[in-house]
Amino acid sequence: MKKRGRGIATIMFGFGYGEGFPDHSIAAIEIKEQGPILVKTAAADVGQGVLTVLTQIAAEVLRVAPDRIVLSAGDTALTKNAGSTSATRQTYFTGSAVQKAAEGVLALLYHYGSLALHCNHPELVVKDGRVYRYDRPDHFMSYQELARLAHEKGELLQAEASFFPRTDAPDPETGQGERVYVAYTFMTQIAEVEVDTATGLVEVLRFDTALDLGKALNPQAVEGQIEGGTVMGMGMALMEEQVIKAGITLNPDLTGYLIPTALDCPPFYSRLVENKDAAGPFGAKGIGEPVTIGATPALANAIYAAIGIRFFELPITPDKIIKALRQEQGTNG
Amino acid sequence: MNERIIGKNLVKVDARAKVTGRALYPDDLYFAEMLYVKVKRAVHPHAILRKLEISRAQQLPGVVKIITAADYPELNNFGLIIKDQPVLVGIGEKMRYLGDALAIVVAESKEAAGQALAQIRVEVEELEVIDDPRRAMEEQAPLLHPDGNILCRHQLNKGELERGLAAADLIIEQEYKTNRVEQLPLQPEAGVCVYDQETGVLKLWVATQWLHDTQADIAQALGIPPERVRIIQPVIGGAFGKREDISVHIHLALAALATRRPVKLTYTREESMITQSKRHPMIIRAKSGATRDGYLTAWQVEIIGDTGAYASSGPAVVHKGLYHCTGPYNVENVRGIAYTVYTNNTYSGAMRGFGATQLAFAYESQIDILAHRLRIDPARFRYQNAYRPGSSTPNGQVLTDSVNVRETIKEAVQMSNWPGGVEL
Amino acid sequence: MQIRLTVNGEERVVETTATTRLLDLLRTDLKLTGTKEGCGKGECGACTVLLNGQLVASCLLLAPQADRAEIITIEGIGSAEGLDPIQESYLEAGAVQCGFCTPGMILASKKLLEENPRPTVEEIRRGLSGNLCRCTGYHKIIAAVRLSAQKMADKGEGKDE
Repeated sequence: MKKRGRGIATIMFGFGYGEGFPDHSIAAIEIKEQGPILVKTAAADVGQGVLTVLTQIAAEVLRVAPDRIVLSAGDTALTKNAGSTSATRQTYFTGSAVQKAAEGVLALLYHYGSLALHCNHPELVVKDGRVYRYDRPDHFMSYQELARLAHEKGELLQAEASFFPRTDAPDPETGQGERVYVAYTFMTQIAEVEVDTATGLVEVLRFDTALDLGKALNPQAVEGQIEGGTVMGMGMALMEEQVIKAGITLNPDLTGYLIPTALDCPPFYSRLVENKDAAGPFGAKGIGEPVTIGATPALANAIYAAIGIRFFELPITPDKIIKALRQEQGTNG
Repeated sequence: MNERIIGKNLVKVDARAKVTGRALYPDDLYFAEMLYVKVKRAVHPHAILRKLEISRAQQLPGVVKIITAADYPELNNFGLIIKDQPVLVGIGEKMRYLGDALAIVVAESKEAAGQALAQIRVEVEELEVIDDPRRAMEEQAPLLHPDGNILCRHQLNKGELERGLAAADLIIEQEYKTNRVEQLPLQPEAGVCVYDQETGVLKLWVATQWLHDTQADIAQALGIPPERVRIIQPVIGGAFGKREDISVHIHLALAALATRRPVKLTYTREESMITQSKRHPMIIRAKSGATRDGYLTAWQVEIIGDTGAYASSGPAVVHKGLYHCTGPYNVENVRGIAYTVYTNNTYSGAMRGFGATQLAFAYESQIDILAHRLRIDPARFRYQNAYRPGSSTPNGQVLTDSVNVRETIKEAVQMSNWPGGVEL
Repeated sequence: MQIRLTVNGEERVVETTATTRLLDLLRTDLKLTGTKEGCGKGECGACTVLLNGQLVASCLLLAPQADRAEIITIEGIGSAEGLDPIQESYLEAGAVQCGFCTPGMILASKKLLEENPRPTVEEIRRGLSGNLCRCTGYHKIIAAVRLSAQKMADKGEGKDE
């Protein structure tokens, strides 16, 4: 028999290293006499899209099209410490550092622009790679020409900035602290499953997600994180386990260790709850880790809703489901 | 605010190179005269290395160099938080899991390196293998590391647990066990290293989630200044926490130093699974109390995290779970303790969610059980206990801004056509 | 030994051995590194290429088995002038994260759409089930294949011409 059920999970995640750790990111932006605007950061893009989001932040602040921005590849000889791509921190930390560096460069554009065009800052228009007096748009200077002007003075059209928020180390006896993490991301997910009581197989029918993320800098990339994180959580809930007995891994390959395939992927419906009241760039919070946390308990609760049995050990594999159903039949019959 | 680019679906800046196959991942790099590296791993999960016989392997055609701990007696241990992991296990030293490195083979081809691995003879003195953290915590258990098997202990104490339990009309207690999950980024660990003899700089094209931290760890292990290690990040084929730790990095540096030629090391999937970090399996005991009308009064947890053979991120992961033990719900009285414990299993480290993932399985199961036992709709039960501005976390951190957890419950319930159409 | 094969429309003569994998021949000898190795056991699909029009795991084939064969790798999809509609769709749908599965996934998508130009979601899932992705959760990859089908149909009807 196939039985359906819905399960809900609401989760939180305090992001950044927190706990008083010296967590920070340093970024620099330079406009040269030729070529694109260079953003220098060591932030590692592992596929999540931090380089894209940093491009958007720099382009937004500097009022240019994103294709005018180029990010340096991570290189310890050319970039400063950005901290790790972990703890759900890069958009918030390096995003803030890039935003601040871009604001520094924007201020320099006003500074050199007002010198070159003989006017004060309020009279200047800075946008689309050009600087001009509001009433003379044809008489403009490009950002690159202002870089040349700066170079003539022996200066660079460059700004470096860092983002280094305070957190507190919790008390060792009680774990209490005033500001242990910089901020928290919250999410609620509802999973619907169908459990086949003959085979123990769990089919995930859909996932509804509402994510409190402050502001979605790139909504499609956020959805991609939700979907990927949720399917990873499905793997943890239903199938994944590296089995080690007496120190020896019994399933060190992808035949013995199963992860979800396209056949397991359910439809997703996601809502991004924006409030923009977070302290990150443009009000954004981090989302990379929280999006994987809800799936496992939502599925466990959905399985309970479907067949009335709770599982306390992961993963909830078909053999465990069958065994539990038989036990229950035994006690009922 | 009129944002023009923020909030838009800009196509990922690196996606074009990826759909055309032009994106270069570490294993895609080739240099002239490049050699291939393979690592001889431990032959027993817990043993003392007594003999390492490399002469036969050394004589095989194509084998350029076999490096053992005896060649570099000055090497330091490495590790993200605690430097407890040896670059190479030396004679008389312990191997603590099957991923420990005994020798580095450098050869003209992958095949030659692989044949040499099979010809290295190892003799060990076997010790008791501890694969259960509860066994590791017993007083008479053999020590995996000199300072004991309990790597660290963290505590939480908020309000007065006893008072909270006394105020509860319903108390439930349950033990949960979470699984050892492999991050499984699709690209196995790989890298290329070139030693620049003029500047003395080791250039490494390797994946890492934190360039400067990896640079510092490699340098301190080799006993050289960080400036002599340069990391250039290629495209990274996924990470999920698995690329926080050192993998190919130091072995590549040693191979390049020893041969003065470009070297490449790529793990097999099996090697990646056995050698590199996992999500911590945790045993979580949770006790939760609530009033008849559905408000939480007390929460207690005990967590044992299996951190495996080495610390890696373990000292940070397990207590991050502890600090998230109640989830996003108001509980005035919380007590908890978390143990991070060594075993002879593949070490556990960072994986997406970093301890908070494991704890969510426990707290969201507890919450669901309480709601059902109290005959309150599970969504309503969550909603009425969820944080709002002014709430405080298990750490006692008062939340002042961006606390929209209740909105997420409302939205999800509305979208999903939640049974009963609960009014929130 | 010497083998002769056509790779992405170009005839190649390669000196190889009886035990060299097709994957290594492509990556090491021909420097076509778009084809990836994720497991070496035919389990993950990252090394997928088209051999005489069939999807194969190039890690499971030996180079001599490709003698006189016609092979298409990711480098043979699209052209210098522009992307293939499948590649475009992957970009537009946001189907690319780390990108390591992407070359194999795109070749599997191509084969699927050649055989079935208007696949249902269920058919797409089945068609891609031999290719693992750890980043995306597959949802946007499936969307990309649907978008590709739409684009190719529009092109076929001359809407873009």
